[in-house]
Amino acid sequence: MRFRQSILLFIALAACAALTVARVATAAPPGPLKLPDFASLANKATQTVDITLDSALLGLATGFLDSNKPEDAAAKEVIRGLKGIYVRSYTFDKDFAYPASDVDMVRKQLTAPGWQKLVVVRDNHQHSNVDIYICIDQGRASGLAIIASEPRAFTIVNIVGAIDLQKLHSLEGKFGIPQMQLDDPKK
Amino acid sequence: MSNDFDERLRKALRPVDPGERFTESVLARVANDPAGSTRRVLKPTLRWLSAGLAASILLGVLVAHEWQLRRAQQGLEARQQLLEALRVTSNKLDIAYRAVNDTEKSSVGVGEDVGPDS
Repeated sequence: MRFRQSILLFIALAACAALTVARVATAAPPGPLKLPDFASLANKATQTVDITLDSALLGLATGFLDSNKPEDAAAKEVIRGLKGIYVRSYTFDKDFAYPASDVDMVRKQLTAPGWQKLVVVRDNHQHSNVDIYICIDQGRASGLAIIASEPRAFTIVNIVGAIDLQKLHSLEGKFGIPQMQLDDPKK
Repeated sequence: MSNDFDERLRKALRPVDPGERFTESVLARVANDPAGSTRRVLKPTLRWLSAGLAASILLGVLVAHEWQLRRAQQGLEARQQLLEALRVTSNKLDIAYRAVNDTEKSSVGVGEDVGPDS
């Protein structure tokens, strides 16, 4: 009887240990954000951009990029090593027609360990905010998040994967980005 | 008696012209031959098999073509979405860039909340 109890106890302990190990192993990297469901806003918004590109779709898109076109070539270079790009952007014809709590919920996720503020812009005059966060995992950038909010629009961008900040320079002049003076992370 | 028998035998064994119908009847019998019937059974089966095979190949080609078309459509859509996503990203980075550039002038900072009024 005692032997049986010992075996049961051992099995229970082993199961607990296995579950803990599994939990730690499957803990999601901080790169991907949990974006709220903004489906209800689509009816209110005058302009909606809802893009979800996981690694499979990114791979598929890469095959259709024409390296001879500068825009495509730049895109190809930038997305190399990325695991996902998620964009939610809504524009409204009224001020603050969107729930700020949803945007704050995303902003809150960026306080988690691993995320670092890169640029925070607060324009109190125009009531516009742009927050750029970067996720550092083992000394390498593994995610980028942009939260831009204005009275009549908000945009959330989450890029997951090995982001080479220098590659952002390659977008210069192709997507309307001027050259950014980003600090070298090695310095 | 013997002569009579001989005579009757000769009459019975005399060459007789089989007539035109004989050939037709022989051909008809050949047609009913079991070996011939096997050939007739196999032929339609093979015909059905080859028709089925051809139909399967055609169906396979059509399905593959449809799959390829869908894949191409998905790929083009994904490409479009990717370019749009990069456009939106670049637009927001541009705002940050301009703000960073204006840091010296006044209100915007890197890594801290700074506004024009602050």
